[in-house]
Amino acid sequence: MAGYLLRRLGMSILLLFGVTIVTFTLANLVPGNPIVAALGEGAASNPATVEAYIEKHGLDQPLPVQYLNYLVNLFQGDMGVSLRTGQPVASDLAKAVPATIEVAIGAIIVSLAVGVALGALAAYRRGKMSDQVVRVVSLLGLSIPTFWMALVAFNIFFLQLGIAPGSGRLSPILAPPPTVTGLYTVDALLAGQWVTFMDAMAHLMLPVFVLSLFTIGLLTRFVRTSVLEVLDADYIRAGRAKGLTGPRMLFGYTLRGASLPILTIVGLAFGSLLSGTVLVEAVFAWPGLGSYAYNSATSLDLPGVMGVGLVVGVIYLGINFAVDILYGVLDPRVRLA
Amino acid sequence: MRTKIRYVASAIGLSASLVLVGCAATAPEGGSGSAPSSIVIDTAFTLETGDPGRNYVPTGYMVSKALYETLLDFAGSDESTPIPGLASYEQNDDATVFTFTLADGRVFSDGTPITADDVVFSLNRVKGMTESKANFLMEGIEVKKVDDKTVELSTATPSLKLPALMTNPSLAILNSKLVIENGGTTDNSDAAEKFLNTTSAGSGPYVLDSLDFESQVVLTENEKYNGEEDIDFTRVVIRSVSESATQKMNLEGGDSQVAVDLSGDQVAGLGDGVNVFSTPSAQTIFLLLNQSADVAGVTANPEFASAVRYALDYPALLELAGAGSEQATGVIPPSFLGALTDGVEQDLAASKAALAASGYAGETITLEYPNDYPVGGVSFTPLAERVQSQLADAGITVELAPAPFTTQIDEYVNGREAFSIWFWGPDYADSANFLPFAAGAKVGLRAGWTAEQDPAVVDLAAAAENATSMDEREGAFSAFASALQEQGPFVPLIVPGSNIATADYIDGVAYNSTWTMDIAELQSK
Repeated sequence: MAGYLLRRLGMSILLLFGVTIVTFTLANLVPGNPIVAALGEGAASNPATVEAYIEKHGLDQPLPVQYLNYLVNLFQGDMGVSLRTGQPVASDLAKAVPATIEVAIGAIIVSLAVGVALGALAAYRRGKMSDQVVRVVSLLGLSIPTFWMALVAFNIFFLQLGIAPGSGRLSPILAPPPTVTGLYTVDALLAGQWVTFMDAMAHLMLPVFVLSLFTIGLLTRFVRTSVLEVLDADYIRAGRAKGLTGPRMLFGYTLRGASLPILTIVGLAFGSLLSGTVLVEAVFAWPGLGSYAYNSATSLDLPGVMGVGLVVGVIYLGINFAVDILYGVLDPRVRLA
Repeated sequence: MRTKIRYVASAIGLSASLVLVGCAATAPEGGSGSAPSSIVIDTAFTLETGDPGRNYVPTGYMVSKALYETLLDFAGSDESTPIPGLASYEQNDDATVFTFTLADGRVFSDGTPITADDVVFSLNRVKGMTESKANFLMEGIEVKKVDDKTVELSTATPSLKLPALMTNPSLAILNSKLVIENGGTTDNSDAAEKFLNTTSAGSGPYVLDSLDFESQVVLTENEKYNGEEDIDFTRVVIRSVSESATQKMNLEGGDSQVAVDLSGDQVAGLGDGVNVFSTPSAQTIFLLLNQSADVAGVTANPEFASAVRYALDYPALLELAGAGSEQATGVIPPSFLGALTDGVEQDLAASKAALAASGYAGETITLEYPNDYPVGGVSFTPLAERVQSQLADAGITVELAPAPFTTQIDEYVNGREAFSIWFWGPDYADSANFLPFAAGAKVGLRAGWTAEQDPAVVDLAAAAENATSMDEREGAFSAFASALQEQGPFVPLIVPGSNIATADYIDGVAYNSTWTMDIAELQSK
């Protein structure tokens, strides 16, 4: 197992190095002048300001030198200064990442609960009306544009029905809880701020609901297929022949047997949730990674873009690493592969 | 049986949680944030510093305006005449020396009296910080203390724009002692920004409570404030809400009280309980026709610009802009000195004659524009399509070439576009901001229009720049605007509207081209 772990870890580090090369190269290949984008037209026409800016950000160096500087700084925890916010990218991301993780964790929990239940139900009721309904629902979840769904949900649940709060992570009247994890719900609990906790939970509802729709659709279809395969397996038939039914059959045997492919899809879905929340975050004014990525890209904030690229890369690699390890734990044959 | 009990208990627990969450959704601590003493403003953030001396972006100006004061100010939406702020002023006959006298008894938020030393430090700080985006505002201005109450600003050439410059929030007066104690200097070694991101050091009606560049800024009442504003809202939350559709719903649902970035169409669809303040902004959207033979083909012929100018149906273009917008009567927008009263009217016969004289032989002209950067709610794609259609009717074939703003702007500022749609807005409230449209000046050169190509326009710009009396100045700017309208390589199209929507119990909204609105002027009816 130790050898397996080391191999996976080494591969992840190599891939991470590749991610830095790709993000740096892509960011610098983007057409456009980051100086004009960052300074604005007025300031960009002032030679003294432009000169000071170029010097401060090392933009007068050749690209390979800039990349080496970037790597050296990265090892020291310095991801550069955002051209857009004027703040260190690391501190910007330290606020944005927990905001997205909080909503993504919520979405994955809801997706798992609903998706697995619906998928298993559809498999057990194969070909019947409930199976057809679940398949249609999952198809809708996959095909409805998330941005549109976010606007519709916000309109209905906040504006029309008044049962959801407005945009943002917290009501304007409340101050954020003292930062420990950056997750408002957790930090509020740690600080014993119950009102803040409930308010943060309330603000999570709609973004989690909208974000989970796609993943629910994905998981439902995947679980259905996986469970159907397991249901046809010999050991399940044998179990049935011996009289196994109900929850024990479902949770003890069928879902356990289908857990590896489900684990894969959950890992991928979590990664895509973290990096794919751009439009949902825009609608709900959620100051997370998606908003940061969008704002950085549209304002040609290269350090910001590279920072987001690196963080998303690290998260994906981390999830893949964790999934690989869980594979090894759940199926010993994998460790030998 | 035990399993069933467990399921039932779980279901009850889950239901209770949802009810609690639902309660929190509708009734956070102290209500929904619409308490009479507090107000929530939604805007698409452009904010990168709490340091006024380094700021050059709209949200930053709005925040600075609430926290700090400047030597001069504007009353409401009237940007034609600066009025006293922290000081009154006099100028010499040559308009090269401006003497500012500080008002009596004014103090910073920590109670420290405001003196001439604070003014000298604050202005010289911006002048010395060449890496500050606001640095150009102090270009060519010398600052000298006369006595504890008096400061003299001087320029080498006449500068009637200087009073307007002194209204810019970047030139706010800071508590010099406090800022110096926290790293402030008058050169690039200045290290006070970090401090000013957490604590305000000004004399404005508000003080900074908290600042998060990605989500919100919270302001609270400055209890030591002894200026003329009588504020109604003692706590102000300015939130980052990039989607204007979300701003609209937040306002309608009572989660916010002011929405700053609604388009003309969006304000038209607002229901009862909302006030809308619509007015022309200070932005001018225009067509650029490059005059450089190296860059352009037929567009380099001034007659071709005339053909385009008279071919367009301006009221039809204006339909795309919504509430508050107006036809651009020239490069100078209507609220500024020297703006022309009437815009160009469609004249197809004149267009045809000019087109024939231009040597146009039916070739396809490429129209470039940024397709992801609406200005005042005006998206350039439908505008470009309508221009294309109208020019086709006049016999000019146009091909559209949209691109993202960040890609397109580099081509534009480097003068590599033959035919494009762009916009221009002032850095401070003065018509001098539009002199860069002259031949040989910044925007003129972007259109390949050199000083040698039109010395008469260069002279008109110089006359406007160097005027020493307001009457002379107004005439000079009008002559400049007229000349551009007749023979310049620009076709001004639209001045988009600014639409600020508020809850119906809020009054006092006044649009300003620099700081958007003065938060301290918002009043509860």
